[in-house]
Amino acid sequence: MRTNALKRHLTGYAFIGPFIIGFLVFTAIPIFASLYLSFTNYDLFTTPRWLGLDNYKKMFTADPKYTQSLKVTMLYVFGGVPLRLAFALFVAMLLNTAAKAIGLYRTIYYLPSIIGGSVAVSIMWRNLFGDEGAINSILEILGIGGVRWFAEPLAALWMLIFLSIWQFGSSMLIFLAGLKNIPASLYEAAGVDGANAVHRFFKITLPMLSPIILFNAIMQTIGAFMTFVPAYIISKGEGGPMDGTLLYSLYLFRRAFVYFEMGYASAMAWIMLLIVAFISVLLFASAKYWVHYESKGGN
Amino acid sequence: MKKWIMLIMAFTLVFTLAACGTNNNGGILTNNSGGAGTAEGTNSGGDNTGGEKEAVTLRMAWWGGQPRNDYTLEVIKMYEEKNPHVTIEPEYANWDDYWKKLAPQAAANELPDIIQMDLGYITQYGTKNQLADLTPFLNNGIDVSNIADTVVNGGKLGDKLYGFNAGVNALQIHYDPEMLKKIGMDSIPDDWTWDDYKELAKKAGDAGIFFDTGQKPEVFFSYYLRQNGQKLYSADGTQLGYDNDQLFIDYFGMTQQAVLDGGSPTPDFSAQIKGIEDDPVVKEQGISVWQWSNQFIGLQQVANRPLEMHPLPGPNVKEGMFLKPSMFWSVSENSNNKEEAVKFIDFFINDIEANKLIKGERGVPVSSVVKEALKPLLTPEQVKVFDFITWAEENSTQMDPPDPIGAAEVMNLFKTYDEQMKFNKITPEEAAKKFREEANAVLAKNKQ
Amino acid sequence: MALKKTVKPLLYHAVVIVLSIIMIYPVLWLVMSSFKPSNTIFITAESLIPSPWVWENYVIGWQGMGGNTFGVFIKNSLVIVVLSTLGAVFSSALIAFGFARLQFFGKTFWFAMMMMLMMLPHDVVLIPQYIMFAKLEWLNSIKPIVVPNYFGVPFFIFLIIQFIRTIPQEMDEAATIDGCGKFRLFFRIILPLVTPALATAAIFSFYWRWEDLLGPVLYLNKPSLYTVSMALKMFLDNETVSNWGAMFAMSAVSLLPVLAVFFAFQKYIVEGISTSGLK
Repeated sequence: MRTNALKRHLTGYAFIGPFIIGFLVFTAIPIFASLYLSFTNYDLFTTPRWLGLDNYKKMFTADPKYTQSLKVTMLYVFGGVPLRLAFALFVAMLLNTAAKAIGLYRTIYYLPSIIGGSVAVSIMWRNLFGDEGAINSILEILGIGGVRWFAEPLAALWMLIFLSIWQFGSSMLIFLAGLKNIPASLYEAAGVDGANAVHRFFKITLPMLSPIILFNAIMQTIGAFMTFVPAYIISKGEGGPMDGTLLYSLYLFRRAFVYFEMGYASAMAWIMLLIVAFISVLLFASAKYWVHYESKGGN
Repeated sequence: MKKWIMLIMAFTLVFTLAACGTNNNGGILTNNSGGAGTAEGTNSGGDNTGGEKEAVTLRMAWWGGQPRNDYTLEVIKMYEEKNPHVTIEPEYANWDDYWKKLAPQAAANELPDIIQMDLGYITQYGTKNQLADLTPFLNNGIDVSNIADTVVNGGKLGDKLYGFNAGVNALQIHYDPEMLKKIGMDSIPDDWTWDDYKELAKKAGDAGIFFDTGQKPEVFFSYYLRQNGQKLYSADGTQLGYDNDQLFIDYFGMTQQAVLDGGSPTPDFSAQIKGIEDDPVVKEQGISVWQWSNQFIGLQQVANRPLEMHPLPGPNVKEGMFLKPSMFWSVSENSNNKEEAVKFIDFFINDIEANKLIKGERGVPVSSVVKEALKPLLTPEQVKVFDFITWAEENSTQMDPPDPIGAAEVMNLFKTYDEQMKFNKITPEEAAKKFREEANAVLAKNKQ
Repeated sequence: MALKKTVKPLLYHAVVIVLSIIMIYPVLWLVMSSFKPSNTIFITAESLIPSPWVWENYVIGWQGMGGNTFGVFIKNSLVIVVLSTLGAVFSSALIAFGFARLQFFGKTFWFAMMMMLMMLPHDVVLIPQYIMFAKLEWLNSIKPIVVPNYFGVPFFIFLIIQFIRTIPQEMDEAATIDGCGKFRLFFRIILPLVTPALATAAIFSFYWRWEDLLGPVLYLNKPSLYTVSMALKMFLDNETVSNWGAMFAMSAVSLLPVLAVFFAFQKYIVEGISTSGLK
């Protein structure tokens, strides 16, 4: 019996072994190094000097730009992620049919996500939201009047959020794969019972898809916290106007590689880790109320 | 569990020290002979006695676009033909990527032998033991007989020369005379002052065109301070160098007023300019641009109609004006082949044939001999730039020393408050006070 | 009834096509701009159709720089991307199976570690990692970019875990009764069932590696090793005039491999064999 248990553990480690080896060899040391550095004044070039908790203290007491970046990022994450997920799920369901030319449609809908961080996108996006751009023209027609997207910090942030919604391709693809994994027999059975589309969606699609929704929710949240490229290319690396698009990662990057304060940047990174981990744990904990697994996995 | 954490921490500590230690650590940690697995152990440097020179491999890094990459490779080829024992391995990247690449290389003691350096970074790299002092190589490797002292000293920090000036730029205003006529003036008067500027900006605003596209605050405020006998940073770099906030209020009050008058765009307009092709001057919506002399060539090329250049407003133009190194050539402190690296820099600076390929693309050549030799090969707009620099050599004063560490953060403060003033969210008086407080807090970190 | 049958698909296609236009417009703009003379791209930014049509951007762009044509950069990117993707998908599937289906000591700890890897901003581990690869003498090679993929990519591991957990446990039990070991269970039963997830991972991995800039910028020094993402940025110049035309032209070219891979793999998402295996 004992040898059986041992064999069970060993089999488990055989499977996840590559991860553990990779972790220990490539990432464990750099991660702990960054934790150590977060208590120092490391400037990349000279030997770090121990500062204790100074970096952490400064962040919350003497760095208004830090608080600003935290605020902007929270808005970006909690404004953007739910919208992006909802849109992705909507389109995935729209494309989850055997309609003609469906492969082409899927490709088209995925396109925005593969030109992602390119310069072309930033130029396009700036054009669309420009003072005389398409968006403002539409707003004029609707009688709302134009918005100065590059002057108002909040408007500029929304410009970024819209960009993230438009690039919903990766979540859509994962939803699509998830939808494909739902056995057709379930829908057939429901069809016999005479359930309508709304009913089918809530009784079959959502529960069966819930592990994938959990995945997307967690990954998109983490991804949104880490967002760097759009803010960098749209604001030319500065996070303007008036720090309205100074996302956390952008500010962290500036601290690390423009101001050469890697110690401080490391401290910022670990606070970010705590925040993201906290939100992820909440999401995982909530899973038992709404996520439906076909198998017990036990994490 | 605790033991385990201690173990990891100890391990990390040892690792970090090993990794991050600079050359002053001494001992086993400084042995960095294998440069990125490229510079093989064949190059011991120096010891060149006996017929055949020992083979040397130099790594050389620069930022730039495609044309620069192409001609620089030709210069390298030319040098390698003349010096068969030298192999130069180029490493080039776009500006953004270049600095991303350089920082880790410095941290790992893997910097290339020859590094193209920028004024904004030279203090960071220089004072933290990454760059070699070039003073011993002057006229002993690098021929400076045809180069003005003020030009050579541009790369000086304290008594050490961390970069050799690769070319010269100066501040100017570039304008379209046809557009200027729209506000009733044929050309900018020779002895114009900031008061004239205020008036012109107002007139342009009234005429519904832009006079300019705004000024980079850290550059032009610095010029303004110099005109008034002040400096942006104190000599030791631990605080601001001017003590009268009235100068801040006057300068930023003026640029703020230009925006309010409509003669200068709000920052959100500037943020939407996508490139030089999109500039108001090019699109005939604006009269002028404040920028560096070398940028005239691109602007002229894109606008494709006669543009003019002019010195900045007075009074005290000479006190305000300075020659700015467009970029530097530096040698890394951990290079094993400093002599050979310096020889190549000398070739790049002084060789006439090489400069016929370079054609002043990295700024107006610093050597007077090279400058003369190039003249016949230049386009008319290049000749204008060269002539302006010649004029500026006589009508300028020594540049301020390179910005202290922390200047990047101060520049960001400038940008923040400049934006707020131009959006009329803060008065120049308030901004002056806040800026001083915050900038001094940043610079105070340099006190050790 | 008959009317409803024709109206519904029509309506469907109408909605899908209208949305498509919003989706595709920027890409169209990019492609069309690549046929405009470089100096007119911004002046004519509002109109989609180039006039005149020119090919020169493609000719100039393809010449590349420093004696390396754009073909060299594409080849370099392909080598990195294909090697990385193979490693990432296979190893992640293996690891995911361990997490999703096996019970063993320390599992929660390792899972938490894996999640943590995704939550720490990469900027701060970059320097220590670089120093480590320098000590391994891996600089100036594709090894630092490719090799870590063979030890699992957290995003894909987590993705495949979630997919495996939607497969009923009875499948395993049936297989185990048939005398299947865990490895055979993985290869014979689970792997085919998660094909849609594997295809998704392959598409992502391909695209991410293809557009990745930081890895190549940090670790590749020799211009003949440069990738597409690095080369594209070199058409831009913040000091003088950028070659926008060539940049757009080569951006358009560089979309093709990604599109081809997407088109090829999305089929597996569509035709996921999974349903056939289930009752």
